Amino acid sequence: MAVQILRDRSRAAVQKIVLGATREQGGTRSHTITVGGDAALPFYHFEGEVANRPVIAMEVQDIVPQWPDILQEPFNDVISEPGRWAQKCVAAYGADLIYLKLDGADPEGANHSVDQCVTTVKEVLQAVGVPLIIAGCGDVEKDHDVLEAVAEAASGENLLLGNAEQDNYKSLTAACMVHKHNIIARSPLDINICKQLNILINEMNLGLDHILIDPSIGGLGYGIEYAFSIMERIRLGALQGDKMLSMPVICTVGYEAWRAKEAVAPVSESPGWGKEVERGILWEAVTATALLQAGAHILLMRHPQAVAKVRENIDQLMVSNAY
Amino acid sequence: MNQFTVTFQPDNIQVQVTAGSSVMDAAQKAGLPLKSTCGGVGTCGRCAIKVLQGEVQVEGSHLPLRLKEQGYTLACQTLIQGDAIIEIPASSRLSKHQILLQDKGRLADGLTDSLASYPLEPCCETITLSLSEPTLTENASDASRLLAALRKEQGREGELNLTLLRDLPATLRQAGWQVDVTLAREGRDIIRVTPAGSTRSFGLAIDLGTTTVAVSLLDLKTGRQIARNGGYNRQAAYGDDVISRIIHATSDDNGQEELRHAALATINELIVTMLAGAGIEAQEVITAVVAGNTTMIHLLLGVNPKYIRLQPYIPAAAEWPPVTAIEAGLAINPLAPVRLFPAVASYVGGDIVAGALFTGIARKEELALFIDIGTNGEMVLGNNDWLISCACSAGPAFEGSGITCGMRAMNGAIEGLTIDPETYEVELAVIGGGRPAGLCGSGLIDCLAKLKRAGIIDRTGSFQEVATPRLRHTDEGAEFILAWAAESITGRDIIISEADIKNLIRSKGAVFAGIQSLLKTVALEIEAIDKIIIAGGFGNYLNIPNAVEIGLLPDLPAAKYAFAGNTSLKGAELALLSWTAWQEALELARKMTYLELSAGNLFMEEFVSALFLPHTQLELFPSVANVTDMDRREG
Repeated sequence: MAVQILRDRSRAAVQKIVLGATREQGGTRSHTITVGGDAALPFYHFEGEVANRPVIAMEVQDIVPQWPDILQEPFNDVISEPGRWAQKCVAAYGADLIYLKLDGADPEGANHSVDQCVTTVKEVLQAVGVPLIIAGCGDVEKDHDVLEAVAEAASGENLLLGNAEQDNYKSLTAACMVHKHNIIARSPLDINICKQLNILINEMNLGLDHILIDPSIGGLGYGIEYAFSIMERIRLGALQGDKMLSMPVICTVGYEAWRAKEAVAPVSESPGWGKEVERGILWEAVTATALLQAGAHILLMRHPQAVAKVRENIDQLMVSNAY
Repeated sequence: MNQFTVTFQPDNIQVQVTAGSSVMDAAQKAGLPLKSTCGGVGTCGRCAIKVLQGEVQVEGSHLPLRLKEQGYTLACQTLIQGDAIIEIPASSRLSKHQILLQDKGRLADGLTDSLASYPLEPCCETITLSLSEPTLTENASDASRLLAALRKEQGREGELNLTLLRDLPATLRQAGWQVDVTLAREGRDIIRVTPAGSTRSFGLAIDLGTTTVAVSLLDLKTGRQIARNGGYNRQAAYGDDVISRIIHATSDDNGQEELRHAALATINELIVTMLAGAGIEAQEVITAVVAGNTTMIHLLLGVNPKYIRLQPYIPAAAEWPPVTAIEAGLAINPLAPVRLFPAVASYVGGDIVAGALFTGIARKEELALFIDIGTNGEMVLGNNDWLISCACSAGPAFEGSGITCGMRAMNGAIEGLTIDPETYEVELAVIGGGRPAGLCGSGLIDCLAKLKRAGIIDRTGSFQEVATPRLRHTDEGAEFILAWAAESITGRDIIISEADIKNLIRSKGAVFAGIQSLLKTVALEIEAIDKIIIAGGFGNYLNIPNAVEIGLLPDLPAAKYAFAGNTSLKGAELALLSWTAWQEALELARKMTYLELSAGNLFMEEFVSALFLPHTQLELFPSVANVTDMDRREG
């Protein structure tokens, strides 16, 4: 007798979100990128359509970041020029998107003015044709001003702007609505707050197809399993028809992976751990691939070699296993 | 020791106190009890007074800066050092409030005549005996004569104790050897011997609540209620909730006795006035039934309550041995048997068992949820096949405690309000119709619902920037003014702060999470519930649509809800009149499954999910989702 293979059919799918806008659509991007739309668990091609492949956004900063040498090395020639840095990421390393982190705005740090930040954004927009993700420095008041100005200056570009958090989502949501951008809703590894924030943002009338979830993650060895299970719950919720958990997920892989001591400790300190060049890259790549399995749609990454490894992994995972 | 005269204004009452007495004690002595929820240790800030004149010593206290600047101090922390004149503002007085005696007539059908389904069979029966007069040849003792007659006429064995023996010779001869003998239904104990004919028998049902105490006097022959009475539990002076009472009982040298006496003083005073009003002698009250939460029964019986509070929360007993009135300290016939409702666990007590008995949830096939919302939200889910119960710590917010302008449901309490969505102007409904003094539980729930509906708060309970002078930012956070100082009795603005709102959201979240935890444990959905029965004083003033709108209660049609009033007292009445009902109560407590919410993380998950208006899972509240959608469209 033939074996009856049972397949779960989902009641609903993850939201599809389009990032970027071409000239015809009112922006200046060479193309748009669509994420989400999955009607199955990650890469379960046999149970439903995996509509769009996960994408990698490479991180660019508006200041020279305090990164370990191994991580800085590939960008040494461009690291003080965000536009050229972004260009290199796209042209040389094949980044799907650019993730511009405006850490220079931090009043405790370089304290770039709002105008400086806007200039940087324009510089990067001009330098590359891929859609942009732009995040503030984390200082609530400064971000409020900076992101509002960025949203206005890049009106029509259909950016992805972050981060909105539970105590501070209104001004960014309003800016995204007025200037037609998308928002990153960031919650602290908590499925309830994640959903609540989506509801709050949606109730301000920003459409569900303009919200992405940043569930907060931990790097490999630093609580990645919490992120994994939260992301699983988000995906299961989305597939069961929970609209307020149906958004694609974005993960701050590079930031978390390169914070790990294991990623950066010099070989002289820990001879048993192997060469630090490989270690950091692997740390970032493994963090990313684990989260792909949990349902990540956009990976925010740093090192070109890690990006290459993860892209190869995505290629393999996107080969249909339907039967 | 120096004596000083303290004059209280505006009452103009004078009392003499010794130097160093607190104003709190002096006010108590003057018959002007003050609000206090911390037990007079200066932390609750409820007993604010103003020293108009005289020498006092003020200890450090937790008084809001605003009050301090206006010259207020805390009565419990202000010590008399000379003659003084002291003003007690209305907001600090413990005024009479509505103890739940009568229901407001919203009682659902089918709950009213619970008694009709039980036979009238009190736990004590009175038998008339005709004794033969002794002679020189037939010379058995008075006691043997009585017991022989009992054996011969009723086939029952009896036992007389010393108290009865002392009066027996006189009673028998005065009665001309015709006597009424009152016996316990089970066992041999004779409770009373009285001259035949005029014997009346009454029973007492007692609801010993943490906050309030209610007593009810029933005629055991007819089953009719003769009188009811209610008042505050005087233990309140030692703390507001069971936890602070347990702490007082176990940390103070004499704490346990103080609490026992306070409970007895409360009950006995109610008994004495009730009996006097009804023209009934204490001797004629021959049995009593007490329903109360586990801690209250421990304290009433003088049993060490310490381990109720400490993990793993173990009570001394769940079923109590029968005691006599004199052992218990009740001011009724000293030999009267007193029965105490059995508990299920430390936080699901005899009051809940009494409620389950009265509401008859264990006799019907329909799935019922019985909820008593107080400081602890206790609930029972089940039917005639099974019962499961739990208790969640809702906090005292719904009783007006721990809320800036919270108060109990008494005159002056705001019980409802409307907020104009355009102007944000507020209209208040105040108990008694006068000027407002604060918000009671139902007012708080209404307030939360209306603030959300008007868009003044979002679903997390955070204030939104709306253009109204009523929303103001202080050092302690944002607050919304419900009544201006000029409109209130207290002469101070009546406000609800963001912290109050978050506090309420935690309270409502705990109750709803308790309900969800019960349902999930038995793998049922909300829709499976056929009836929700709400007990307790608070329930009577609760507006169901509002409670659903904030996510306190499940989103079920109003027809499924019923208010049952003081089910603890009614259950005690039922057990008093019917031995069958009492047996059922014992059985109920034994068969009820107890779900310990602090074990595992089911409750915690549900709780966090419920900290949203109405709930993170909006789909659990379909009717509420519609309301807000409509508002938005209209807006």
